[in-house]
Amino acid sequence: MRWKQFLTPVKSIGAGEGHRLIEKNPSEEMTILDVRQPGEYKAQHIPGAKLIPLPDLHERIAEVDPNKPTIVY
Amino acid sequence: MLAGKGINEVYNLSGGIRGWNGQVAFGQEELGLSLFTGNETPEETLVVAYSLEAGLHDFYLSMIPRVKSSDAKNLFEKLSEIEIRHQDSIFKEYLEITGKSSNRKEFEKTVIVKAVEGGLTSEEYADMFRPDWESTKDIVDIAMSIEAQALDLYLRVSNQSVDPKSKKVLLQIASEERIHLTQLGKLMEQI
Repeated sequence: MRWKQFLTPVKSIGAGEGHRLIEKNPSEEMTILDVRQPGEYKAQHIPGAKLIPLPDLHERIAEVDPNKPTIVY
Repeated sequence: MLAGKGINEVYNLSGGIRGWNGQVAFGQEELGLSLFTGNETPEETLVVAYSLEAGLHDFYLSMIPRVKSSDAKNLFEKLSEIEIRHQDSIFKEYLEITGKSSNRKEFEKTVIVKAVEGGLTSEEYADMFRPDWESTKDIVDIAMSIEAQALDLYLRVSNQSVDPKSKKVLLQIASEERIHLTQLGKLMEQI
């Protein structure tokens, strides 16, 4: 059992804090991850967001740099 | 799932995209990427970026005779002048990176203007948004959406860029697009 996933808190942030995080971290130093479906991404997404639909996340997790802060929606 | 995979800092955006109160981009992940192969040198990257800025500049200029109100005409003129400054910035970076002493006219011969920033032509944007071109608010709104598209494009292209120097150039241009968005936001507040 991966205890770490229960012990590592995931913080919920609002849009204001999201903007601040993005302003504070240059684009190459953070990840914005969109876990919705391609059609939803196509309709609208946060500029620069990487799309990995949730069903694919387990297989494609290596595409997310673990050393960068990640905002997920 | 992310936290359990060693990603140290994860933030869930409350409310998702609906909770996001900033500019958004649209289009599938591949939109506009055909403008870039990912193998561009920094020089080639800057030529493409300049082309996109030039496309947007031309779009704004082309709108001046198409609108009736003087406010709208003046605004399109102002926006086209802003794009010239963006082009100035890219050209300056081009000269610094390449060490060439090209004059602007020679450089512009290498530029092929096909698409407005964000990967769509001006007509495609007009068809999609159908703004009221006489409304200064609608004009700034669409300008902001184009800049958000441009930001999105440069960030997505930087992800696929092979040359680290080109990646750096793309990220620099992307951060300038954020500044452009902020400038347009301030312009919107004045309307």
